Amino acid sequence: MSLYSSSVKRPVTTILIFVALIVLGLFSLRSLPIDLFPDVETNTIMVMTSYAGTSASDIEQNVTRPLENALNSVEHLKHITSNSRENISIVTLEFEYGYNIETLTNDVRDKLDMVSSMLPDDANTPIIFKFSSDMIPIVLLSVQATQSMPGLYKILDENVANPLARVDGVGSVSIAGAPKREIHVYLDPLRMEAYNLSVETIAALIGAENRNIPGGTFDIGNETYPLRVQGEFSDPQQMGNMVVGMSPMGGVVHLSDVARIDDSLEERAQESFNNGHKGAMIIVQKQSGANSVQISEKIAKELPKIQKNLPSDIKLGYIVDTSDNIRNTIGSLVETVLFALLFVGIVVFVFLGRWRATVIVLVTIPISLIASFIYLYATGNSLNIVSLSALSIAIGMVVDDAIVVLENVTTHIERGSAPMQAAVNGTNEVALSVMASTLTLIAVFFPLTLVKGMTGVLFKQLGWMVTIMMVLSLICALMLTPMLCSRLLRLNVGDTKIFQKVYGPILKVLNKIDDFYAKVLDKCVAHRWITTATALGVFIASMFLMKFVGTEFFPTNDNGRLGVSLELPIGSRVDLAKDVSQRIFKEWTQKYPEIQSFNYTVGQASSDNTFASMQSNGSHIISMNIMLNKSNERKRGITEIAGMMREDLKNNYPELKRAMVNVGGGRGGGMSGQNTIDFEIYGYDFTKTDSVAQRLKRILEKIPGAADINISRSDYQPEYHVDFDREKLALYGLNLSTAATALRNRINGTTASYFREDGMEYDIKVMYDPEHRRSISDIENIMLYNTMGTGVRLKEVGTVTEQFYPPTIERKDRERIITVSTVVQDRAMSEIIAEAQPLIDKMDKPADVMIQLSGSYEDQQDSFGDLIVLGLLIILLVYIVMASQFESFTYPGIIMTSIMFAFSGIVLILLLTRTNLNIMSMIGGIMLIGIVVKNGIVLIDYINLNRERGMSIRRAVINGGHSRLRPVLMTSMTTILGMVPMAVGTGVGSEMWRPMGIAVIGGLTMSTLMTLLFVPTMYTIFALTGIRRTRKKLHDKNKK
Amino acid sequence: MKAIFIAFDEAYYDRIVEMLQLLNCRGFTGWREVQGRGSKTGEPHYATHAWPSIASAILTVVDDRRVDVVLDELHQMDLATPKLGLRAFVLPVERTI
Repeated sequence: MSLYSSSVKRPVTTILIFVALIVLGLFSLRSLPIDLFPDVETNTIMVMTSYAGTSASDIEQNVTRPLENALNSVEHLKHITSNSRENISIVTLEFEYGYNIETLTNDVRDKLDMVSSMLPDDANTPIIFKFSSDMIPIVLLSVQATQSMPGLYKILDENVANPLARVDGVGSVSIAGAPKREIHVYLDPLRMEAYNLSVETIAALIGAENRNIPGGTFDIGNETYPLRVQGEFSDPQQMGNMVVGMSPMGGVVHLSDVARIDDSLEERAQESFNNGHKGAMIIVQKQSGANSVQISEKIAKELPKIQKNLPSDIKLGYIVDTSDNIRNTIGSLVETVLFALLFVGIVVFVFLGRWRATVIVLVTIPISLIASFIYLYATGNSLNIVSLSALSIAIGMVVDDAIVVLENVTTHIERGSAPMQAAVNGTNEVALSVMASTLTLIAVFFPLTLVKGMTGVLFKQLGWMVTIMMVLSLICALMLTPMLCSRLLRLNVGDTKIFQKVYGPILKVLNKIDDFYAKVLDKCVAHRWITTATALGVFIASMFLMKFVGTEFFPTNDNGRLGVSLELPIGSRVDLAKDVSQRIFKEWTQKYPEIQSFNYTVGQASSDNTFASMQSNGSHIISMNIMLNKSNERKRGITEIAGMMREDLKNNYPELKRAMVNVGGGRGGGMSGQNTIDFEIYGYDFTKTDSVAQRLKRILEKIPGAADINISRSDYQPEYHVDFDREKLALYGLNLSTAATALRNRINGTTASYFREDGMEYDIKVMYDPEHRRSISDIENIMLYNTMGTGVRLKEVGTVTEQFYPPTIERKDRERIITVSTVVQDRAMSEIIAEAQPLIDKMDKPADVMIQLSGSYEDQQDSFGDLIVLGLLIILLVYIVMASQFESFTYPGIIMTSIMFAFSGIVLILLLTRTNLNIMSMIGGIMLIGIVVKNGIVLIDYINLNRERGMSIRRAVINGGHSRLRPVLMTSMTTILGMVPMAVGTGVGSEMWRPMGIAVIGGLTMSTLMTLLFVPTMYTIFALTGIRRTRKKLHDKNKK
Repeated sequence: MKAIFIAFDEAYYDRIVEMLQLLNCRGFTGWREVQGRGSKTGEPHYATHAWPSIASAILTVVDDRRVDVVLDELHQMDLATPKLGLRAFVLPVERTI
């Protein structure tokens, strides 16, 4: 018994099978997490090696190069980049996407074991970091405080950071802008000299005094008592009474005689300003693989509780909540899917004209869509842009099989069969062709699951989702549709008056369209060579237009988040940075009412701020986080605002050395930020590459659309060096390291001990009073003591000179490199490259310097390459499926011409809507391969049938066209209208999927129109030639 | 005794068997799937791509007095749904065992 006859005979089982599917699907949906993109597993591993006391070039030679040479042989490696700085080497390994990072980490570890013996003895063991997008903070909280400001760090650490860190999935919580308490012992060098004291002595004394020492146990009678000395200070000011020495007169010298005890905050700390008010910032990063939306929801739940425990003057607020954007985006995509559902429903009703039939067909949609959630749940995926777009794409296609089955069953009923029999026989007749047409679609979508690289990661889910939905819709069409037909359909007994009134005009229009098409087709077939020439002309012309279509990598996602990083000249004081940021804040908040929150951070970060230590920071660096309101609530897009901000920075703030405005929060964010083009300059010689970079920058500055041009190599930093004369040092009984340590203790300070209070520890730092470390002469006058206790001034044993610090040495693929990067603004990436390339080629550059393109451009080239290969593979597969269905080589070839017109349509609509060709529109194009051939299959199949029934070629073609126009229009319209909400949507995030919707609509419309005229014409030409050939053969035979 | 050969669209099969039963004609021989086409307007029933429908046939041997009743019933069926196609032919039975 076949599938359909058993399901018709056992309706209860059939219904319950599908009910079970829906229940499982809904259950899965309930537990599906929400995310913006499918989980892109990290593909980067960082190897950090520290080697204290070495310069950048020594690090490069002795640490970075051996590491690079060893790590270069790890499999699946795409690029190896490195950064050699003073004291530290960072090697970053970028792998191809789609490989297990754990295995790769183990490989890297093996290689490191092999190379470790070749590293210098004093270098530390290399540390491996797995790096991923998870490092980007998911929530930034602002803290405003007044009275509690001095103790803010402690309050936040205990009451906010700790509870938040306990939230499931939170990786780390860092506090910025709330300096830590520190106890400073500021020494007066003049007084110290008078009493013959050194910083080291005082530090050692403080360490020795501030101690609790257990004295063991002793027995009194029958009892044993522990004995201890409680020497720790209970108040920092107590330190002042410490005796640190004897005066030459014989009196006692207290610490307060030579020093000032200052119970305050760290000297150098990051300061953070929220909407112009000073406050702190709390940065929450998620654990690798955790879901941002879930975490942010949990944080939102915790916050009121946390706020309750805080002093009343501390206010917590949000600066950035990444999950907001994700939720809004997914929300608007769900809306899009629902609109698509509505449109498809309307189309089905208009064409079928029967509500029972419409219900039978539409039931397929929720079943196939909801059941696909089971797949997402089972494979641990999330509801994201890709999986939801898959739903939107599939809505128009899952009804096709059901429509074909329903139509045939209806024909049987109209001829007089009983519904039960009509359902079985009708389905039986079309089962094969329904399977074949589903197979062509699977031939398109299944290969998507096999793509490698970043595109692969993204579209694997799309491929699986659509494949699964297509299979489900096939099962529905073969089981549920016949069953429902047998129960719901009946012979048409005559329409009600209302129905005739509503549907009558629609039917008239449909009939008119049918007749009109038959007439046009008749003309086309009559003038078949003209038709062919025109159609090919259209195709060729559109391919010429192709070069006016700009290309880019990924559409820029408007998530309302701007990251601005500014640099003043190196060494600028933090006050200057504060002043500039305050001015920018004032200007921008007035100029851009779209700004919802504005946070900026200046100054050097402390080392225990995980987030800040991964970024560059310093007294001259300003970083800003700007949140705009929702993208559909404002007129100006994020790129437009970013562009205006770039102009502002260029024109009004000449003191800035470097300025970057990053859309989406970070530069080169792959899938979300603006497209970037990186020009990589390879070359060993610093001066040569520097000059090439400068010239390249000047070239790019002249090209419109290239904004935010930056040279990656940092400036040569001025610094003061103390050059000790070793002979003189030896003469005074000193060596270099004692002298240098003494210098460090006086300027940077030395941590003498810890002050303990309420279970917290604070550093006690001993150093010169700030007013005694402000000039070179202060440094020169530093008194150094030898072991005998005799002092000598620094200027007597050394000189202070100003020098330039060698820059960080960056390398990529084992060569030195400078990157000149630019953001693509208001222009297609391809246009900028087309304009820049000849200028770069003309550039006069040294022979050993090479310029290469990378950034989004490299990603785009890789992905486009992948997609083109994929497209060819899909075309071949579709051909195979069709050829075996028709058992012919010619017919599939004719049908495949509709693919050409799909591409023409894409080119035309991209030009008309001024959209760039990017990954999303390419994917739209690839999907079209499967969708457009379906039209051809329906047409050719019926024309063939007509011929088998004995019609002449021309009549078969015209009649076939006339009677198949509606199914063709119907399936095309369901897909096109299913895509309309995607293409015209204005919801949050719509800019991401708009290109795909536009491409499908343009391609399918064009291709449907051309297929309807061109394919029958081509069929006539080939069929006539075939007949002529057979006639000739017969004729020749007869002659013989 | 007369034999009635009925050739018809597959859709009639169950209805005809039921009708024979009601008319007390118990015996019959049926072929679910046979191919054929009508002499004048009858559409081919080939179960092919071009002619997907398929015919069935039933041969039943009935008493002489039942022949007309059966043929009338069949004629009614054919008139109700002429597009399906149904034809019956009465043949003499010469000898039975």
